[in-house]
Amino acid sequence: MKKIGFILLILLACFTVAQFFGPDPENISGEKSHSRSKLLTNVPDHVENILRNSCFDCHSSQPDLSWFDRITPANYLVASHIREGREALDFSKWDSLPTPQQNAKLYYALNKVLAGEMPLPSYTLLHRDAELTTEEIRTLKTYINSLTPRKYAERETKTMENKPPEMLPPGKKDTGIAPSPNGINYVPGYRDWKVISTTDRFDNGSMRIIYANDIAVEAIRSGHTNPWPDGSIFAKTAWKQQPVKDGVVRTGDFIQVEFMIKDSRKYRDTKGWGWARWRGDNLAPYGENKNFAEECITCHRPVENSDYVFTTPLNPAIFTKPE
Amino acid sequence: MKTLKLIFLLSITWLTGCSFSPSNINTDASVSTEDRLPENPLAEKAITSSINPAKGTMSTLYGNQTAYAYAGANRDKQYPKGSILFEVTWKQKADSLWFGANIPREIFSVERVFFPEKGKPVYELYIGNPLRKKAEPVQSVKRLAFILSENMAPSP
Repeated sequence: MKKIGFILLILLACFTVAQFFGPDPENISGEKSHSRSKLLTNVPDHVENILRNSCFDCHSSQPDLSWFDRITPANYLVASHIREGREALDFSKWDSLPTPQQNAKLYYALNKVLAGEMPLPSYTLLHRDAELTTEEIRTLKTYINSLTPRKYAERETKTMENKPPEMLPPGKKDTGIAPSPNGINYVPGYRDWKVISTTDRFDNGSMRIIYANDIAVEAIRSGHTNPWPDGSIFAKTAWKQQPVKDGVVRTGDFIQVEFMIKDSRKYRDTKGWGWARWRGDNLAPYGENKNFAEECITCHRPVENSDYVFTTPLNPAIFTKPE
Repeated sequence: MKTLKLIFLLSITWLTGCSFSPSNINTDASVSTEDRLPENPLAEKAITSSINPAKGTMSTLYGNQTAYAYAGANRDKQYPKGSILFEVTWKQKADSLWFGANIPREIFSVERVFFPEKGKPVYELYIGNPLRKKAEPVQSVKRLAFILSENMAPSP
């Protein structure tokens, strides 16, 4: 009995000493700010208050932590959450961001909320107040939606030039285009594939056509798309939305093409898909190193039950309507 | 015994529920056997795409091989004989997976432009659910001009 008491005493001593060490989660970058000053100059107060209450603890230098967040060892976990949180989105740097980037960040953040990923369930477990109510989500939706009204301009782009686009012939091996940092080669000829959907991304002023190769199209026709069979490839091409005077929005400048290549064995470390993106007219491969795919997977995580594919494809073959 | 049976049944439901992964196809936005179209435009190649925010629609211009090849190399719209263009227009719906995006809901109309051996291009309109040919489409001149004003979407 004496022994147990001694062990408990030692543990208590260790715990007490540990409190003098460990990170201060409220001051991990040395820019602690006790003030609750307004961070988002162009955002109305009632919207900022919602973000402050649910996001600022991990996504700003104005965290308002509870006493238990500061106890060692919990403070290590909280500090790492804050470090990662600010890396992804730091509301303290909001005012330095250009407006389109601010809008994109808000849309992305809201989509993470709607997907149930944010605020982190492990965080709301102890911080119940941070959970967003239906009313708060509605307020965010209304505000964020109001940020991107379509504007009609008559700006001419190179689409209007009397010059056809130069497209690489399909199957050409040496494209002269640098491979993606994860070793995936550019896939020419995707414009000849079937279209399985289009997307009107009014949140960031782009429009997309999603193409699928024959293997993926056959999977749609036969109804075996979850999981998609090996060999399936999608190409998602994005253009700037180009409003014209008759009220119609046409495809403007080319932004990028993104590929998802299914090979459950070869790409097992990246959810069975090879991810790649080439941007701009010079088709510059995206990503600093091969780990860039983590970014793709993070974004696609809400649709992991659909084999990480966002697109609900239309059927390029004529289908028989059920009786 | 009754409880055991119930647990067994619930486990089976749970297990089959987990392994059953239905394919998620946007059939409303596709062409069905009930539609009366001379060809299936969705099986053709896409030239470009457009959106009409006021009407809440989005369209894709498809071309048969002749039209697609011509649009890829020329911009004068003098499509060779045998070319067929299809302007497929969908009513939009909000993308349930991404707040900030619209996707096709159902086909609203298919406009078909055929380039005969001699004479002017022939405009036809297929509309309704299921799609049926409209006898005397109004605004056919305006719509034909719009379709012919569309260029191949640029891509390097």
